[in-house]
Amino acid sequence: MALSAAEAGLVACQSCGLLSRSPGEQLSRCPRCGAGLASRQRYSIQRTWALAIAAAICYVPANLLPVLTTQTLASSRSDTILSGVAVLYTSGSWPLALIVLVASVMIPLGKLAALAYLLLSVRLGSANGARDRTRLYRMIELIGRWSMLDVFVVTFVVALIQFQPLMASQPGPGLPFFAAVVILTMLATTSFDPRLIWDAAHD
Amino acid sequence: MTDQSDLRHLPEAIAVPRQRARVSAVWIIPILAALVALGIVIHRVWSEGPTITILFDAAQGIEAGKTFVKYKDVKIGQVTAVQLSEEPGKVEVTARIARSAAGLLVEDAQFWVVRPRIGLSEISGLATLLSGNYIGFEAGTSRNERRSFTGLEVPRIVSANAPGREFLLKARDVRWSSAGAPVYYRRVPVGQVVAYDLAPDGKAVDIKLFINAPYDKYVSSETRFWDVSGLDISVDTSGVELRSTSLEALIGGGVAFDTPAYADPPAPAVDGTPFTLYRDRTTAMRHPDAVATPYVLHFDESLQGLSVGAPVTFLGIPAGEVTEVGLSYDAATLDVRPRVAIILYADRLLEKFPSNLKKGRAVVQRLVEKRGLRAQLRSVNLLTGKRYVALDYFADAPRARLDLRREPLELPVVVSTMPDLEAKLASLLAKLDRLPLESIGADLKNALETLDQTMKNVDKTLPGVQTTLEEARRAIASVDRLATNADTTLIGPNAPAQQELRDALQEVTAAARALRVLADSIERHPESLIRGRLEKE
Amino acid sequence: MTACPGCDLLQRLPTLPGGGRARCPRCGDTLAIEPGEGSLQRALALAAAAAIVFIIGNTTSLMGLSVVGRHASTTILGGAYELWLQGFQVTAALVALACVVAPAAYLSILLALLWMSTRSPVPKWGGRLMRHASFMLGWSMPEVMLLGILVALIKIAALATVVPGVGLYAMGVLVILLAAIKLTFDPRQIWQRLAWH
Repeated sequence: MALSAAEAGLVACQSCGLLSRSPGEQLSRCPRCGAGLASRQRYSIQRTWALAIAAAICYVPANLLPVLTTQTLASSRSDTILSGVAVLYTSGSWPLALIVLVASVMIPLGKLAALAYLLLSVRLGSANGARDRTRLYRMIELIGRWSMLDVFVVTFVVALIQFQPLMASQPGPGLPFFAAVVILTMLATTSFDPRLIWDAAHD
Repeated sequence: MTDQSDLRHLPEAIAVPRQRARVSAVWIIPILAALVALGIVIHRVWSEGPTITILFDAAQGIEAGKTFVKYKDVKIGQVTAVQLSEEPGKVEVTARIARSAAGLLVEDAQFWVVRPRIGLSEISGLATLLSGNYIGFEAGTSRNERRSFTGLEVPRIVSANAPGREFLLKARDVRWSSAGAPVYYRRVPVGQVVAYDLAPDGKAVDIKLFINAPYDKYVSSETRFWDVSGLDISVDTSGVELRSTSLEALIGGGVAFDTPAYADPPAPAVDGTPFTLYRDRTTAMRHPDAVATPYVLHFDESLQGLSVGAPVTFLGIPAGEVTEVGLSYDAATLDVRPRVAIILYADRLLEKFPSNLKKGRAVVQRLVEKRGLRAQLRSVNLLTGKRYVALDYFADAPRARLDLRREPLELPVVVSTMPDLEAKLASLLAKLDRLPLESIGADLKNALETLDQTMKNVDKTLPGVQTTLEEARRAIASVDRLATNADTTLIGPNAPAQQELRDALQEVTAAARALRVLADSIERHPESLIRGRLEKE
Repeated sequence: MTACPGCDLLQRLPTLPGGGRARCPRCGDTLAIEPGEGSLQRALALAAAAAIVFIIGNTTSLMGLSVVGRHASTTILGGAYELWLQGFQVTAALVALACVVAPAAYLSILLALLWMSTRSPVPKWGGRLMRHASFMLGWSMPEVMLLGILVALIKIAALATVVPGVGLYAMGVLVILLAAIKLTFDPRQIWQRLAWH
C-alpha cells in the first residue's frame, strides 16, 4: 500500500530526513535539525508559475540583445547568443557551437517547457507517468545550471581581451537578461515541489 | 491518526549494494594537493624579486599589472602600481623585478619609458604602438644596491655594454640638435651621437659620440671630425656643388670623420682628449701646419663678390685662400684703396718648396719680376657673382718690382678682364637706347612700300634691286626649308644641314647688308627709285 | 522509517551494507547512501584536498594570453571584477557567487562539519550548517565555469596565443574532487551523529 507521509499525518524533514508528526497546517520545526517543516511547499505552484513566466519574459531580450561585443583594429562586432553560435560554427569549431547551442538555447527552453508541462500535469491531476515526470524533474534540477555556460564564456573573454587599441571586448546588454533567465528557472525549479506529482497521481 | 499496523505493511526500500573501496589511499589526494600548493607558493616567493620605485615626470602608457620592465628585450619585471608621488609634479611607479635581475639594481642603473617618439630627427619605439609601452632598463657598473630611482626622460641611446668607444668633440655651435644622430666613416654609419650639451664655460658645445667596434679603431689622434648635417652648398673655382651625406643626416644631422692622408702615422686616440668639430670636410681636412705665407694685394676696382675664405688659385690650381677683405688707408696719399689679404699654402703647390723663408721669397720675387706673376680678380661664374683671386703669369703686364722689405709681401695686381656684368648691360642698354630705331624703322617701312610700287612698274630699270630681292627671297625660302627640316638636318653630326644653315645665314646677312646699303642710298637719293642710279649722265 | 523526498512515500529503510544505497520503490530517488568504513574520513580527505585546490585555483591565473607582445592573464575573481568595471555589477556578483562564494562556503562548512563529526556528538547548530551547505551546493557551479573557460579559451585561441595556467588545471581537479565528495558523502551520516534532543 502506498502511503504518502502527508496522508499519514507525518512530515519528513527536507534537510535531515527525519519523520515527525505533522502538527497540521501550522508552521513547525524539525526536532532534530531545526529546519522549517512543511508537508508541501507553500504556494509551490504559484511561485513556480510566476518565476517561469518571468524567466520566459526575460528570455526575449536575452536572445535579441547582444551579449558580447568585440573590437579589433579593423572591425567591431556585436554578437547575440545565436550569432555567437553561428560564429563558432563558421570558424570551424562546430563541437563548441553545438555545446553552446545546447547549453544556451535548448536547455533554457527545455526547462521552461518542462516546468510548464509539470505544472500543467499537476494542475490537471494526471495520474500516469508520475515516475517519468519525477525523473524529468530530477533532470531539470541537474541540467539547469549548465545554461550558465555562456555567461562564463563572456566573462572570461571580456576579462582577457583588453588590449586597446589592438582588440577589446565588452559584455553586451543581453547578458544580465540571460543570467536572469538562468537564475529564474533555477529558482522556479527549486520552488516546485515534486511530491505534488505523486499527490495528483494518488488522488 | 494512523495505526501502527499500517506502518508494518509499509513497503521496504530496495537495497542496492556497492563495492567497498580502500580507505587510507584517499589521503594521498589532499597530501598531493597540499604539496602542489606548497610548491606553487615556494616558487612564487623564490622567484619574486625586490620591489623598486621609479620617479618619472609622466607615466605615459604605464599601467599597473600590465606594463613590463625590459632589459635587452627580456622582461625582468612588471609594474605593480602607478601613483602620484609625494614630490610635486612627479609620478611614482612601483615595479617588481624578477629575482634573477635583482643584481642589476645598482646605483647608476637607469630607467626610461619606451614609447613612440617621433620627431624631425628621431623616430623610435614604434613597435610599442602595438605592444604597449614598457620601461627600458640599463645596468650600471656601481656595486651599491639601490631600490628607488629617478627615471630618465630621454632614453639612453647606447647600451652600456655595447662594444666600442666614446669620444668627445667640441664645436662652436651645432647645426643640428638631436641625440642619436649618426656618425659616418666613408659614408657608412658607424656610430651615434650620444649627447650634446653646453660646455661648462658656455663657449663651446660638448658633443659625446659613441663609435661601435670595430670601427673605433679608425679613430686616431690625427682624425678629423666634421659636420655633415643639412646640405653643403659650396661654390668654388670648379663651380657650384651640392653635397649631402644621407637623407638622415639631411634632416637630423650627423658627424663624419676621416684621417687625412698627410697625417703622420696614426697613434690611437687618447681617451678624453676632445676633437674639434669642423664646419665641413674641406675645413676639416686642411693641413693645419701647412706653411701658410701671407700676402697683401691692393686692387683698384670693386671687390664685390669676393669674400673671406674665397679661394686663391695659382695657375688654376687651388693654392690658398682669402683671409681679409677690406680697405686700406694710405696716410701719405690720403687715399682709400681696396685691400685683400691672402695666404698661400706653398706645399700644396710644390712638393719641395724651400722651407727657408728667404729662399722662398726669392722664388716669389723672380716669378713676379721675370715671369709676370700677378694677381687678378676673376668671377667664379656670372650667375652667382662670386669672385676669387687668381695668380697667373701675365707676360704683357707692366713691369713691377717686389718690395722685399714689406711684411707681408705685396703682390702686384692687374685689372680684371670682366667688368661688372651689370655695368656692361647698362652700357649696352644705353647704346641701344641711343639708336634712332624708330626713325630707321619708319624710313625702312616707307622705303619698302615705295619699293613695292616701283617694282610693279619698273623692274628692268633697277636690276640691282631685283637681284637683291631675289637673293632675299631665296634666302627666305631656304630659311623656310631649313625650318621645316630643322629637326632632322640641323641638329646632330649632320654637317650639310649646318652648312646649309650657315649658307642661309650668310645669304640673310648679305641681303640685310645689301638692304641697308639700299636703304642708305635711298635715303640719300630718294629719286633714284624712280630714275635709277644715275650712271654718270 | 522515512518518507521519500521525491514522492513522499512512507517506507522503511533497510539495513544497508557498507557503501550500499537505498532507493524509493515508487519514484526511484536515492534515499540514503550507507557509508562505507571510514567514509567520513574519506570525505574529509577529499574535502581538504578540494579546499586546497580551490585556493590554488583562485589565486593563480587561469590562463595567460599573449598577442603582439602584449600579455594578459586573469583569475576567476578578476573576471568577475572586469564585469563589475564594465558596469554589469549584478552579473559580476552572480558570477562571483556561483564560482567563488558558493563553493568556498560549501567546502568550509563541509570541512567544519566533517571535522566536528569525527569527535563528539554534533551540536545542534550543525543542522543549520548542513542546510546552508546544501543551499550553497545548489548554487556552486565550478564545473559549468570550467566548461565556460574552455570554450572561451578556444574562442580566444583564434585571436592570440593562449597558455593555460595553473588555475585552470586546479579548477579541473576541483570539479573532479567535488564529484567524488558527492559520491562518498551522505549528509545522513552527520544527522545520525546529531544528538536528538
